[in-house]
Amino acid sequence: MNIFITYGGLISPLGNNVNDNFKNMLEGKSGISVTKNTGFNNEDLPLGKINNIKGENRFDKLLSKLCDKLVLDFNKSIFKDKKTLFIVSSTKGNLDDLPNDTFSSTRRILKEKLNVKNEIIIISNACISGVIAVNTAADYIKYNKYNNVVVIGIDALSNFITYGFQSLFALSNEASKPFDKERKGISIGEAAGCLILSKKELNNIFSVIYVGGSSSNDANHISGPSRTGEGLYRSINKTFNRANINEKEIDFISAHGTGTIYNDEMESIAFNRLKISNIPMHSLKGYFGHTLGAAGVIELITCIKMMEKQTLLKSLGFEEQGTSMKLNITKKNYKSRLSKILKTASGFGGGNASLILKLKE
Amino acid sequence: MNNLRENLKEQIIEQLNLEDIKPEDITNEGDLFGDNGLGLDSIDALEFIVLLESKYNIKISDPQEGKKIFKSIDTLASYIEKNK
Amino acid sequence: MKLIASCKINKTGVYLNSQLISRNDLSESNWITELYYDSNKEYPKFHKMDNLAKLAFLGFLFLEKKININNYKDDEISLIFSNASSSKTNDLKYINTYTNKGNPSPSLFVYTLPNILTGELAILNKWYGENIFFIQQKFDPKFYIEQIKFYFSKGAKAILAGWVESNDKNEECFLFFIEKKEGKLTIEKLNKLYQNE
Repeated sequence: MNIFITYGGLISPLGNNVNDNFKNMLEGKSGISVTKNTGFNNEDLPLGKINNIKGENRFDKLLSKLCDKLVLDFNKSIFKDKKTLFIVSSTKGNLDDLPNDTFSSTRRILKEKLNVKNEIIIISNACISGVIAVNTAADYIKYNKYNNVVVIGIDALSNFITYGFQSLFALSNEASKPFDKERKGISIGEAAGCLILSKKELNNIFSVIYVGGSSSNDANHISGPSRTGEGLYRSINKTFNRANINEKEIDFISAHGTGTIYNDEMESIAFNRLKISNIPMHSLKGYFGHTLGAAGVIELITCIKMMEKQTLLKSLGFEEQGTSMKLNITKKNYKSRLSKILKTASGFGGGNASLILKLKE
Repeated sequence: MNNLRENLKEQIIEQLNLEDIKPEDITNEGDLFGDNGLGLDSIDALEFIVLLESKYNIKISDPQEGKKIFKSIDTLASYIEKNK
Repeated sequence: MKLIASCKINKTGVYLNSQLISRNDLSESNWITELYYDSNKEYPKFHKMDNLAKLAFLGFLFLEKKININNYKDDEISLIFSNASSSKTNDLKYINTYTNKGNPSPSLFVYTLPNILTGELAILNKWYGENIFFIQQKFDPKFYIEQIKFYFSKGAKAILAGWVESNDKNEECFLFFIEKKEGKLTIEKLNKLYQNE
């Protein structure tokens, strides 16, 4: 049995739909720009900010906007179908709702806008949320519980997150440059993306096949990346086994690449241990910034679009090798056969996750 | 001057939630970080930066700089005395 | 799937397989810390944890007495956790550091994610298995049974599942350990254990 996966929508600083985002990425545009007085000490910080969302409840506004687009682009019957499940991947939900629950509005908005009938599943597992949300969606289809699973990945900018990463000295003072020698840290971003996994291919939209995925903990530190890349190493190995695919078959890796010294170094070590560091790879954090719970989802959307166009996107911001282990980071866009892509993610709490997508035969 | 060292010990215990440790358990010369010291880690080092700023109005903008400063109570105290 | 043991901790006390094994001293406002001292376990990092991670840590210490984790390799146990309020209690504490006290606290910020508690359990036990954290409106046994099936079919040999909640009205932790053996785990059974019946 095949599990099909396709993109449903993408709202980011680079556009309000998947095609506009991809077009801007092909042109080498970044969604990260200097935003005045956003730091804790009123510093100007480079952020991946969606400028036409204003005021309080950014998260709810972003989610509503995505839902409105989904209603326009898809037949609404798929959303209210009893055999359709919704999974939301987010690290924080709507922080403006504190001290009340920050995910109540998520459930409310999906019910109001899309007539969702089933209980909505929310996954909040730091920066690997998006990838494990897709793995979970695939479980529900594989074990015959649902015909379609809609996965929404979303997080919005907030002082809460910005100040927190500032307190960790993890923010870059320029747009983040994953894997580069001069990388200085993360640029925080915001986005909402939607993937749809299904038993049968949806009409009139390009789709690929989800082959397998897994997660693994570092068992090392709650916020510091492992020095040996153990969790990432194990997750990718497990994913290869589950997907019954070996490393030689992989055409491309969509890495996590946050742009911090330690994270990118950790990934280079794990990829080297797996002997996959020669495979072309990129991080998309130079385009979107790090969008936390949305990251895995919007990066997978981009992977599917790359497979549709058989075109590799360069790793924006990368110029010179900056990790102890050499990696094959893409420096320009080019046409290439992309039949199998490995997606990885790592995050706080020691989480690591991965999955493989492939083209239909 | 020794008061500064004693105050620091109490402030560190409070800032880092070191509930099992009493001020007298911390020596002036001993390592604060690493397995031989109090077992503090990289996040604790960042809390030291918060402590210096909030209690002593001293700003450290590069965490790497902190490594030497936060080595022991003595190094920390002499840094505060110099930069106050 | 076979349920091997469960542990429930709340303000009233600790229950192992529904049996009350220690009553909390309700005059103690910091009953969670008291439970840690009673355990005689030395783990200085405990004091740095947020309440979610503390409760999960303590729950595991009690549960550990009833299960044999040494039967499993370091990646054979999957962790499936959920709660309703995410990391709300700690989120509010962290917000207080930059709105009232001065600077945002890095050590509170790193606990503003609910899945940090699974990271703490993985670190404590050197477990490299799969982890997942869900936000659910209430404890939902049916949901756990479904997820447990998924993880067993993906290759897990045992599962440590849990509901760990901390909000202004309630703090509780319910952990249960399931092995991939003959046995039936029912919604009713899980509900009863959760309610200490």
